[in-house]
Amino acid sequence: MTTTPLTADHLYATGLRGQWHPVVPSSFVAPGAMRKVTVLGEQWLLFRRSDGTLSMLADRCPHRGAPLSLGKHLGDRVACWYHGVEVETDGTVSSVPGLPGCNLEGKQLVVSLPVKEVSGAVLAYFGTEEQPQPVELTLPEPLTDPDTEAILCYAEWNVPWRYAVENLLDPMHGAFLHHDSHTMFDGDTTAKFRIRETDRGYFFEKTDQRGVNFDWVELCRTGVDWVDLSIPYPPSAGPGGPFGIVGMVRPVDAERCAVFFWRYRTVQGWQRDTWRFLYKTLIEKRHWEVLEQDRVMLEAMPADADQRENLYQHDLGVVRLRRLYRGGAEAQATA
Amino acid sequence: MNTDWPYLEIHQSRTHEPSPYELKLAATLEEVFTKVGSELADVVRGLNDRQVHAPDGTPWTEESFTAEMHRLGA
Ligand code: FES
Ligand SMILES: [Fe+2]
Repeated sequence: MTTTPLTADHLYATGLRGQWHPVVPSSFVAPGAMRKVTVLGEQWLLFRRSDGTLSMLADRCPHRGAPLSLGKHLGDRVACWYHGVEVETDGTVSSVPGLPGCNLEGKQLVVSLPVKEVSGAVLAYFGTEEQPQPVELTLPEPLTDPDTEAILCYAEWNVPWRYAVENLLDPMHGAFLHHDSHTMFDGDTTAKFRIRETDRGYFFEKTDQRGVNFDWVELCRTGVDWVDLSIPYPPSAGPGGPFGIVGMVRPVDAERCAVFFWRYRTVQGWQRDTWRFLYKTLIEKRHWEVLEQDRVMLEAMPADADQRENLYQHDLGVVRLRRLYRGGAEAQATA
Repeated sequence: MNTDWPYLEIHQSRTHEPSPYELKLAATLEEVFTKVGSELADVVRGLNDRQVHAPDGTPWTEESFTAEMHRLGA
């Protein structure tokens, strides 16, 4: 997939390969449009044909390396601005206008990634040498269950990707950082946690409280990494009970990430419509304020935060996560 | 569309700025859910008791409320 050797440190800092990652909301690439995006420290070009078909190409012209994202959308191809070389959506050079018949024509010289669109977001598969073909992808049930309504919130943070995931594996921060929020004001500020292994990851959960604050989280590795969690709503949110979050994080580079939070609720009919109406009108802003508390805290963390810690029992979920990702990075390293 | 880093948009699910009618209806719904109940009949009664009516000024029925939520929540 990439020609430079990947060290374990680089993979740990910029994200593991051999799996799917979320890229951007689908709406970020309109039909007939292109969009440049940085993922796992590399430059990519999302290209959507007018019929809606999406492809994802390395943002690098096969001629002399100019960014294709500066080029021109030709409907079913992109033409590099520098010398006009045309590249098809599967990465094949279709024409070299300056030298017709040039031997670059007909060769697949640009990497193109498998993509899927799921519940309003683009997912792409980032391969490894051993695993260039996409691994099986099992989507989060809340995003595919017809009785569950999910609304995506996307944001870009100046935060290393792993800190954003660690924050999700740290439910106890809900009772402190989000104490003044509309959903997490309640519950004990002391707790005992345990790890419960599952066949797709693990739960990190309070042993003595459920359904009050942010009391549990499940890490799921199903071809894409995601977390599932549930947070109670106050009665003002109407029927339907708590809302859940499916969270995914896109590593941008070693310092930045993009977060995808689908707020979901099991509601149908008028209850679904009413939740959506309240969400758009009043609740989305309140959820945003909670998310901003996370962003402000995480962006303020020192770069060496994880080098000089004194962990305690509530951090077991984070420790487990680091072990998983560190082990994965070492297994994938090619240098 | 804004493509600058970082993308930090509070409202991502809206298609338009809510009208005064929509804001009033939403705020009253929250109050009704809190103080009256969350069955459809509770909601219709709670809105009508508070004189927060449909745009044509008529009291809500279960049918008209359901239809309006479908329009506004789509
Ligand atoms: S670098 Fe793209 S055509 Fe020359
Ligand atoms: Fe948080």
